[in-house]
Amino acid sequence: MTKHIKAVDWLPQATMGALAACSISLAAPAMAQEVYPSADETLDWTIAFGPGGGNDIMARTIIDILTKYELYPGDISAENRAGGSGAVGWGYLYGQDGDPYGISTTSGSFVTTPLQADTPWQPEDFTPVALLATDDLVLVVNGDSEIQNIEQFIEMAKANPMNIGGTGTVNVDFIVPTLFAQAAGFEFDYVSFNSMADQTTALLSGALDSMVGNPGEILGLIESGELRPLVYSGQSTPAALGDVPTMGEVGYDIGVSMPRGLILPPNAPEAAQQWWIGTMEKVVETPEWAEYIASNTLTPTVIYGEEFRDFLVRTKNNFEQVLKSVGAID
Amino acid sequence: MDIFSDLIMGLSIAITPINLLYLLIGAAIGMIVGVIPGFGPSAGLAILLPMTFGMDPIGAIMMLAAIYYGAMYGGTITSILLNTPGESATVASTFDGFPLAKNGRAGPALVMQAVASFVGGTVGVILITLLAPMFAQVSRSFGPPEYFLLALMGMLTLIVMIGENWRLGIVSALIGFALGTVGVDLETGQGRYTFGSAELIGGIYFIPIAIGLFGLGELFYAFYQGLHRTGTGGIVNYDNEERFWPTRLDWMSTRMTMARQSVLGFVVGVIPGAGATIASLMAYSTERSLSKNPENFGKGEMAGLVAPETANNAASSGAMIPLLTLGIPGSASTAVLLAAFLLWGLRPGPLFMEQNPELAWGLIASMYLGNMALLAISIFAIPLFVQIIKVPYRILGPTVVVVCALGTFSVNASFVELYIMFAAGIAGFFMRLYGFSAAALVLALVLGPLAEEALRQTLAISRGSFAIFVERPASLWIIAVTVVLVVCLPLLNRFGAKAQAARKSGV
Amino acid sequence: MRLTFLLVVLAGAIFYTYIAFVDLSFMTRSGRLGPGFFPRIVGVIAVIFIAWSVFDAMRDRSARGLGGTGSNWSDVFVLISLAIGYAVLLRLFGGFIATVLYLAIALSILNRGRHVQNGILALTIPGGVYLLFDKLLNANMPPAVFDLPF
Repeated sequence: MTKHIKAVDWLPQATMGALAACSISLAAPAMAQEVYPSADETLDWTIAFGPGGGNDIMARTIIDILTKYELYPGDISAENRAGGSGAVGWGYLYGQDGDPYGISTTSGSFVTTPLQADTPWQPEDFTPVALLATDDLVLVVNGDSEIQNIEQFIEMAKANPMNIGGTGTVNVDFIVPTLFAQAAGFEFDYVSFNSMADQTTALLSGALDSMVGNPGEILGLIESGELRPLVYSGQSTPAALGDVPTMGEVGYDIGVSMPRGLILPPNAPEAAQQWWIGTMEKVVETPEWAEYIASNTLTPTVIYGEEFRDFLVRTKNNFEQVLKSVGAID
Repeated sequence: MDIFSDLIMGLSIAITPINLLYLLIGAAIGMIVGVIPGFGPSAGLAILLPMTFGMDPIGAIMMLAAIYYGAMYGGTITSILLNTPGESATVASTFDGFPLAKNGRAGPALVMQAVASFVGGTVGVILITLLAPMFAQVSRSFGPPEYFLLALMGMLTLIVMIGENWRLGIVSALIGFALGTVGVDLETGQGRYTFGSAELIGGIYFIPIAIGLFGLGELFYAFYQGLHRTGTGGIVNYDNEERFWPTRLDWMSTRMTMARQSVLGFVVGVIPGAGATIASLMAYSTERSLSKNPENFGKGEMAGLVAPETANNAASSGAMIPLLTLGIPGSASTAVLLAAFLLWGLRPGPLFMEQNPELAWGLIASMYLGNMALLAISIFAIPLFVQIIKVPYRILGPTVVVVCALGTFSVNASFVELYIMFAAGIAGFFMRLYGFSAAALVLALVLGPLAEEALRQTLAISRGSFAIFVERPASLWIIAVTVVLVVCLPLLNRFGAKAQAARKSGV
Repeated sequence: MRLTFLLVVLAGAIFYTYIAFVDLSFMTRSGRLGPGFFPRIVGVIAVIFIAWSVFDAMRDRSARGLGGTGSNWSDVFVLISLAIGYAVLLRLFGGFIATVLYLAIALSILNRGRHVQNGILALTIPGGVYLLFDKLLNANMPPAVFDLPF
């Protein structure tokens, strides 16, 4: 608390006269470098999707933790700036160039939207804070399928190409099986669906051989034996999936996931970036965060700062390469 | 009886004062959300979901479910009074609902829609209670080949919607198909007609088009007819209080419609992804082909309003089946409910009802109570809504523009959709003026992408072979039903009509 | 007017079909139905049918008079212009202010002379909508590009 009391004392001395009063707010970001974050500045938190979605829930979970543990001294104003699959919200953050009081959370669209539309920004333009978790996929077959494990699956797929369902094409659902198949040396027919619900119905009806999807939505079906999980694409298998191996464990690591992280506007001050990295180190240790990870079946993959930027670039390049090879983008 | 003890256990949970309060709040919010054009159940649920986080899961889920099926009650009110569907499942209710209001029968139309909604919703819950496991099998036998056939079956209803000028009707449907292809191609990920715009990646959403074409288009047309100059009366007449209640004939002529369409609506609702919109459209067209006087449809036939209304409510109950028995959401709204379940750490799936009997049966029991509450709310609210008609059109007109605009914006916070709504409004006026069919356009916009995607998925799975359509039992069933609907029913009808004519001439 | 509208629709259909043939492929590389399959079929049929309607409209142009009276046309155009103006106002001033302005202007034109009634309506309707959307339902309202000082 002492830090920003100092700041409040210091500012009026530095600025003289009534006219100068309005310049305080303009000058504050620059001065605040020494005392970031200032309790007088409202944090402008952009949520690039509407209320109730995955990105919204993640942002509000972090805000709740920041408030509960009094990690952020000032007010936080969260705004849903939805539209254009995230283009509007992240475009707004892009426009806050250099401002240490703009912030946003990322999700899969952060990588895919710039590939599909002419957004003025690219994922690597922003100041990275941290990757907090990844959305990973599980490959499942119908419960009455004769395929019991991933080795059998690869063997059968090599002999006779199978189809794999997933949600969308410019999506991790398509990239993950493509890279996995390249690594394991089999071919497959990808069948693209509009939603997880559509592809699950198709798999249960016996039309599909297999599919990839986020485990959270199908845990109930896995538990009852209607679906059989074979392999998981993340770095470590969530407890709920039991002893399903990861792709790395069966020898075909692909290193692609959907990033759920935290970013600041482009060219945000170093001090702000460092402050947020330090703060997020505390956030990910809280029980509330652990509960969020568990109830959304995310993989807790935490990396900070420039490493996160490298991760984004790697993910984007992987996407671009695979999508170009199938002609989805040019 | 096992089911009875389960149901009584559910009732005992649902009937606690606090849960009843949540249920009533949910039902009331559902009504309001349904009445606002654009603001359908899925948008309403998504926005209100975060408010329930601090609540007890049972009360919260009862409330959210009540918002969901409550919206089906509210959605029809603007369809009848303003020709503006509150959400996609009530488009079919404008076909005869609005002509009924124009003929001075707004009161009876509103009462009948509330009753039809109640019957559909309640029959739906009864079917869930008794036959959930059986219908679970239905919802898991649908794959892409079945969806394609279902979409084709839905397109047969287009023939009904096309109207008098068949050539312009076909053009309208083709425009709808064309709009449906905008967006990123599902299979290849290539952009179609997006021109680099991020707003168009997801395609053209159905709601702004429907609100513009029906709501604003009708409004401009009313001004064209000079209705704003005709003193205090609106476009719809409302003669006197005596005509508030439906006549004996209204009840008698729609009994069978309600019975048939609650079952049909429920079965369609059980199929994940088909949902209330397709159910209401199929109900309208089957009822028309079964009717003794199909020529009255579209001109204010009570059965033409009751059929889609019964079916869309029954379908919204039916959509709970895949959610509760498989953990698969059948519609955008149930997808939000599924998200809520997951947030509370519940694991919807085949074991859900066994593992969480209090929650599952509490929810089912609450749906009986909720439908009763909604019927009561509707009947009480009707005199209020009827006041809308008494507002002079020159004042009502600008207000409708405001509600349509803000309702459209609220769904996805998108200015592009707002502009699409206004553009569709202007186009809707000219379409109306020159004999195009807005209904055919909207229907094609819903069914076109469904058919295209399902066909391409099917052929990807079968590696180009069409034999897959006759190799699967569920597909064969749909083909059989379609043949019955298309060939046998109209034939039977014609014979019936002839026999009747013969009898009449004999007398 | 009818002919003009049909010609506009025809132009749209031709543009749609042109894109379908130039940008979108009929089949994918792996031999599946491509993104252009459906648009090409829809586009070609649409062009044929609309052209047919245009042809008909040209033929019986003389036979058919313009429906409605001139004064109503002008009212429709006023209403449409107001609606377009509203769309612009929403973008600039956000949901609440734009609605007040739009209703004030629209009512002063349509509901002439009743200044008190119009004034009350122009404030209460946006107020009610604002309370319902923003406070009760927590729904999105159009944000303003130019924020007013309150």
